[in-house]
Amino acid sequence: MAIKFKIVTPERVVYENEVDSVTLPTQTGEITVLPNHIPLVAALKAGELTARKNKEEFPMAVSGGLIEINKNEVIVLADTAEHAYEINEQWAEEARSRALKLIQEKHKEEVDYTALTATIEKELARLKVARRHKSKLPFQNQ
Amino acid sequence: MALAIRKIKRQIRSVKNTQKITKAMELVSAAKMRRAVSAVKLSRSYADLAWQAVLNLSQKTDPELHLLLTKPKEIKKVGVLVVGSNRGLCGVFNQQLLKKAVAFAASEKEVSSDVAIDFITLGRKAALSLVKAGFNIAADFPKTEIISAVGEIMPLSRMLLDDFLDKKYDKIVLIYTDFISSLRQQPTIKQLLPLVPQSKKSQENGTAEYIFEPDADSILRNFLPRLLEMQIYQAVLESNASEHSSRMLAMRNASDSAGGLLADLTLGFNKARQAGITQEIAEISVSKAAME
Repeated sequence: MAIKFKIVTPERVVYENEVDSVTLPTQTGEITVLPNHIPLVAALKAGELTARKNKEEFPMAVSGGLIEINKNEVIVLADTAEHAYEINEQWAEEARSRALKLIQEKHKEEVDYTALTATIEKELARLKVARRHKSKLPFQNQ
Repeated sequence: MALAIRKIKRQIRSVKNTQKITKAMELVSAAKMRRAVSAVKLSRSYADLAWQAVLNLSQKTDPELHLLLTKPKEIKKVGVLVVGSNRGLCGVFNQQLLKKAVAFAASEKEVSSDVAIDFITLGRKAALSLVKAGFNIAADFPKTEIISAVGEIMPLSRMLLDDFLDKKYDKIVLIYTDFISSLRQQPTIKQLLPLVPQSKKSQENGTAEYIFEPDADSILRNFLPRLLEMQIYQAVLESNASEHSSRMLAMRNASDSAGGLLADLTLGFNKARQAGITQEIAEISVSKAAME
C-alpha cells in the first residue's frame, strides 16, 4: 500500500511519487502520514518535510502552506519548497542574517513584522534541512 | 508607363516597411510568449490542485463555517471578470472573448430575465468592446504587460471576493482565454463562486468529513481566499500566454502575406519595366526605318 504524494508550489511541482510515508510539520506539531490516514486538512508550518520510499528519504525544506490528505493521497500546496540538496547553505545563512538585521532595524519604523518573522522561520528551516543532509546526497547525479 | 512604374515602386516600398514592422512585432511577441508560456505552465499544476482542494473543501465541510462556502438562494446579480488584452493586432483573440462574454450574458438572461450582469474588465480592449456592445462595466483594471506575482492582481481579486462576501454579487464568473498550445487558445468560462463541486469525484471519495488542524475556522479563513486568488491569477496568466501567442501568429501571417504581396508587386514592376524597354526599342527601330 502506497501513498500518492505530491508537493507543489506556485513555481513548480517539487516532488511527485508514490511513497510509503510522509512526515510533515504542521502548526500543531509534526505528523507522519501512513497509508489509510483519515481525511485531514492542516496548515503547513515552516520546517522539514520528509517523504520515505523503500527506506530512501527525500528531505525538503518548506515554508507555510496547506496540507490536504484524502484516502491515500497527500497533497501539499506549499508557498515554497526545496529539496535538501538544492539549498545552498551559505545563501540560506546570508538570507537569515539579512532578515534578522531588518527586524532589529524595524523597531524604528513599522515594517511588516509578520512577513519578516515568516521569512526568518523559512530561512531557518532551510538552513536546518541543508545542514542535516549536507553529507548524504540523495541523488547520484549530484 | 513611367507613371505606372513609379506607382508600383512606391507600393513595394510601403509593403516592405510594413513587413519590417510586422516582423519586429512577431519577434517581440515570440520573446514575450516564451516568458508567459513558461510562467503559465509552471503554476498550472498548483492552480489545478488548489482548485481541486477548494472544491473538495466546499463539498465536505459545513457551509456555515465560512462565508465563501455559502450558496446564495437566488442569483440576482452576476459579476463577470473578462480578461482581455491592452492592445490589438492579435488576431481573433479579443473578438472571440467578446463573443463568449455576450453569449454568456444571453444565457444568464435566459435563465431568469431580471438578473443583472456587471462586467469587471482587465485589459483596455476588453473594456472598450464591452462598452461598445452596451454592457454595464463596474470596474476596469489596468493590465501590466508582465505579471510575475500573485500580489500584482491583489486589488482585483480582493474586490471580487469582497463583493461576493458583501453580497453585492451572488455569482462570480471568470471569462478568459485558456492556453492549450501556441496554436490553440480556447475562450473559457469558469464559475468561481459559489463553488460547484464536481459530482463525479464525490462518490469516489465517500462523504467522510475532513478533520481540521488546528481548527476549521482558521484554516478556511487563511487559505480559502488565497486559493481562490490563485485561480484568478492563473486565469490572468493563461490569458497573457494566449494573447502573446495569438499576436505572434497574427504577425507571422501578416509578414508572410506581405512577402507574397511583394513577390506579386515585383513581378508586375518587372513586367512594366520590360514593356517600357520593348516599346522604346520598337519606337527607335520604327523611326530608323522611316528615315531610310
